[in-house]
Amino acid sequence: MTSRFFLLITAAALLPLPPAFANPAEAQQRLRSAVGEVLAIADGSSSSAAFASKVRPTLERHISFDTMTSRAVGVGWRQFTQEQRKRAVQLFTSVIIRTYTEKFTPGEHPQITYQNAVSPAAGRVDVPTRMVYRGSKYNVTYRMENIGGWRIADVVIEGVSLVANYRAQLGPTFSKGGAAAVISSLEQSVSRRS
Amino acid sequence: MKPAAFLRLCLLPAAGMFFCQCAAPKSVATAGAVDELDDYADTEVADPLEPLNRATFKLNDGLYTAVLRPISKGYETVTPKLVRTGLDNFFENAKYPVRLVNSGLQGKFRRAGHETEKFAVNTITGFGGIIKQSDRLPHLANIPAEDTGQTFAKWGIGHGPYLVLPVLGPSSLREAAGYAGDYVLNPVNWGVFQSKDALQYIPQGVNTIRSLPAQLEIYDQARKDAIDPYISVRSTFIQNRDAAAKE
Repeated sequence: MTSRFFLLITAAALLPLPPAFANPAEAQQRLRSAVGEVLAIADGSSSSAAFASKVRPTLERHISFDTMTSRAVGVGWRQFTQEQRKRAVQLFTSVIIRTYTEKFTPGEHPQITYQNAVSPAAGRVDVPTRMVYRGSKYNVTYRMENIGGWRIADVVIEGVSLVANYRAQLGPTFSKGGAAAVISSLEQSVSRRS
Repeated sequence: MKPAAFLRLCLLPAAGMFFCQCAAPKSVATAGAVDELDDYADTEVADPLEPLNRATFKLNDGLYTAVLRPISKGYETVTPKLVRTGLDNFFENAKYPVRLVNSGLQGKFRRAGHETEKFAVNTITGFGGIIKQSDRLPHLANIPAEDTGQTFAKWGIGHGPYLVLPVLGPSSLREAAGYAGDYVLNPVNWGVFQSKDALQYIPQGVNTIRSLPAQLEIYDQARKDAIDPYISVRSTFIQNRDAAAKE
């Protein structure tokens, strides 16, 4: 009886628990550490261009650009070839990193207040924050998802989702010209001001 | 091991998964979803007037660049930051009736009370609202500002068609009506209803100019790096308003 009980307990312990049972605090801690790393890089950068190039590997580690890109394209993503997906992710990553690094002035630290994280779906934790940056207040919510560990899958600033915003643009682009049109429009966006 | 015990062990992971999935929050993937957690909508607002809206958007864009941006830059150049902050605080404090009435119309009476407290604190101890003393009080520091568009949303009124208004920019039928409500409730505009004297337009003019830098910054952020600036601004506006209505 004892050995049977032991076996049952062991089997139960080995069950692959769905991500919803991960503590939201774990996702929040992961976010805090990612933000800390990014701010440390910002402190050591003399310009926003230098910051953008230095911070890329760190952001690629903490942000799931693959997830962001696929959702930004929408249902048309299924028709992309592997090569097109790789190219689209690469370009979308460049656009996003440029957009966000330009908002930072190296040396100026945002004050971030983390609020209670919530889990609206299995494998997803939303971490709301209040940010004060250069005298302005912003509500920023980080959407964390368990994609081989907790990673940022979207950033929502004042209710505006980055992914939803690009989906509104890239969805119709795909409808008009397919994957080639999406890649071409991303290429134009990357080359526009670089 | 008895067959029954073996069967129980084999079924345990499946049963465990079943109960785990039942207890877990459900994903809300949409019809055109890329994956299970993809809950992004493909359409945010109806835009039956898109050709006309795009033409107005282009016109506004030119107007912002040629007229409003130079005025905004000039204002930022000649007015010290401290003065600009004071003016922003003063005019935001003056909009108290907009926030009070709409908090009440949405049944948010506690929030209406906080708004009144905030107005009193800023007006009495902040030299008429120039200094935002309420930021020192945690319960008054982050009150979501209610307006008429949010009240309509709370009452269940949808956006209606998306509109790009000349000069004012992105809107919808609901938000345009809401804007008219806010205009009437804002004491800064009350002088205009009382007299045709040109002096009555001064507070309104100052309010417009002082709000330009922030308004243009929001517009520029939505436009910059956009694949399609028109859609990006539309999406930014609709998402922001929908989120504000939920607060």
